[in-house]
Amino acid sequence: MSIASEPVVVGAKRNYLQALNEALHEEMESNPDMICLGEDIGLLGGAFGVTEGLLARFGSDRVIDTPISESLIVGAAVGMALEGRTVMVEMQFMDFISCGFDQIVNNLATFHYRSAGEVNMPVVIRGPAGAYGGGALYHSQMNEAWFCHSPGLKVVCPSRPYDAKGLLKAALRDGNPVVFFEIKELYRRRELEEAVPGPDEIVPIGKAAVRREGRDVTLISYGQNIYHCLAAAEKLQSEGIDAEVLDLRTLVPLDEEAIWESLAKTNRVVVVNEAPRTCGFAGEVLARIAEKGFEYLDAPPARVTRLDTPVPWVKPLESYVLPDVEKVAAACRKVCRY
Amino acid sequence: MSSLSATSATPESAEPWGADQSPSRLLAPDDYREILNQLFLARYFDVRLIKEKKRGHLRGTLYSSHNQEAVLVGALFGLEPKDWISPIHRDMPAFFLKDAKRGWRNPERIGMSIQEVCAQIWGKAASPGRARDNWSHIGSRKKRIVHSTSMLASTVPVAAGIAYSERLRGSNAIVLTFNGEGSTARGDFHEGLNFAAVHKLPMVSVIENNMWAYGTPLELGCPTPFVAERAKGYGIPGLVADGQDVFDVYDKVKWCVDYARAGNGPTVVECRTYRAYGHGDHDDDRASKYRSPEEVAEGRRRDPIAICKERLVELGILTRDEADQFQPEGKSASEVRDEDFPPDVVAYVREGVQFAIRSPYPDAEEAAWWVFHEEGEPQP
Repeated sequence: MSIASEPVVVGAKRNYLQALNEALHEEMESNPDMICLGEDIGLLGGAFGVTEGLLARFGSDRVIDTPISESLIVGAAVGMALEGRTVMVEMQFMDFISCGFDQIVNNLATFHYRSAGEVNMPVVIRGPAGAYGGGALYHSQMNEAWFCHSPGLKVVCPSRPYDAKGLLKAALRDGNPVVFFEIKELYRRRELEEAVPGPDEIVPIGKAAVRREGRDVTLISYGQNIYHCLAAAEKLQSEGIDAEVLDLRTLVPLDEEAIWESLAKTNRVVVVNEAPRTCGFAGEVLARIAEKGFEYLDAPPARVTRLDTPVPWVKPLESYVLPDVEKVAAACRKVCRY
Repeated sequence: MSSLSATSATPESAEPWGADQSPSRLLAPDDYREILNQLFLARYFDVRLIKEKKRGHLRGTLYSSHNQEAVLVGALFGLEPKDWISPIHRDMPAFFLKDAKRGWRNPERIGMSIQEVCAQIWGKAASPGRARDNWSHIGSRKKRIVHSTSMLASTVPVAAGIAYSERLRGSNAIVLTFNGEGSTARGDFHEGLNFAAVHKLPMVSVIENNMWAYGTPLELGCPTPFVAERAKGYGIPGLVADGQDVFDVYDKVKWCVDYARAGNGPTVVECRTYRAYGHGDHDDDRASKYRSPEEVAEGRRRDPIAICKERLVELGILTRDEADQFQPEGKSASEVRDEDFPPDVVAYVREGVQFAIRSPYPDAEEAAWWVFHEEGEPQP
């Protein structure tokens, strides 16, 4: 891929990865105070190519190939933001974010709070996440719940190229720290290619989107599992179950209104999330529904999540622990037959 | 037990400048007097806080800087207003000592006022952080002071980021970080220094080696006798200063500041000193479990105020009588009285304390503000 050398064609179709790349190029172009930090993001263009072309176009002062030092990367981003910069941090894999955890949750996330509003932290930490590719324990994680549980961070997870570009641009303009989960299994999916937002457009943070309209049950999900939900909905259609699919897109802040709107229609809900079950984000969604949306429900809500295990390597093991189309469909049948 | 010798010769402790070219030779007589006054100020401030804490007026933990004042005063005195600093828990006086040589009460100086610092310690709304986090966890973009956390050495990567960003703007500001010897074992210290060395960033890492990281002695935290030797791994100068001698600290830190400002990159200056009391005031009694009275007496034998006075007398800047006029040196907080300090030092701290006592607490509802930056959020 060599987006940088291609003329920008507004309305041209992009895959998920190209959409991200385009967002970075546009924001670097329009914001001379923006700096990119990460491992192998310059000379190599990123392990997956998301930062392709940035070094050649914007130079090594603003596109920094860092040492393997995640805590340094985030800490330096905090310092740069304190000095007045906007910073994009790439985690080579979101699994590695744990090496920068203290700087994220204790320093970056709390800075605006601690400084009583004096200092904004326009820092976006983005990187490839998610399983289903045989990445094994340390290249498969969805650890978004760690960050949802740390006040001061916005958490975003797009499922399609249009949102990937629009949300990344919004994140880089937000003025708050944003942890941005990209789904690496979607990076190059041909069937997802679509026209993406233009240079001046964004997709607002904090807004969910209905991916499929339905009357009988609401499937709430985000990221990779959106496609399991959509496939399950197709399958269920032939069984007479009309499922709605709601893509949260942003976890913090959560678009509760979109959930109530859908539940008012379907009165049944299944939350699908590839992260482990205990204290996962699916549990948070269900808790809010139990607290504030109980009256909408005609059946006990359900969730489909990964087992409370690490993500194992080989396919039979990996498939066993993760949500799939059949597990989602089975949960819907149960909820709809209640 | 820990080596208490602050002046042991190592290759790094040799003066990097030529004969008679020490930076302090350029100081004016007024600078020398100001340095002594700043030592009095730092000591008095600490003493006052110890007394307030014992009376139950303060919440949280007091980390005394007693006996370590020369490190703060000596390191800060050679900075320019535009330079950044990142103080840690034991450096409370650093917040008002920054740029203090331009006049303690000068509202134009790029350091915090005594009122702001006291408002923070008393937990009042006039604190620069509106008392959201405690004690030393304040900072200011305008004053160029980094907001620290309790995760020591986490300020080192931040300092590297500031230094990188400043330089990219064409500024020649430098960033000076303070750390204890204990936190030099943390990954953040090494990751930050490594990045700073790779990019030759204008950064000076001042290590306050007071021989004890809470209850752990130096030799259980560092495999070499001198923490400054860690600099070797990054190919940068690592200097050792006598942390009881404010002019030795000044000389070595100033040399490093000039070195950084000239574009040569980061340095480490280990200032060898000794912690006078417990880790925090909660530890004052328990500290006797792990430190012998003899060791503590030896560590406090060379009071930085006394050493500074001797130098001023030697240089003919003070007469012996003038030097003996105020004598807090060698006295602990319970022994020392206001009369042992210059009246202006006492008056200045009193202005801060009285302001803090009179000031209101923040409104409870503020607790939920500023989690996120939002359009129309309250302005502090």
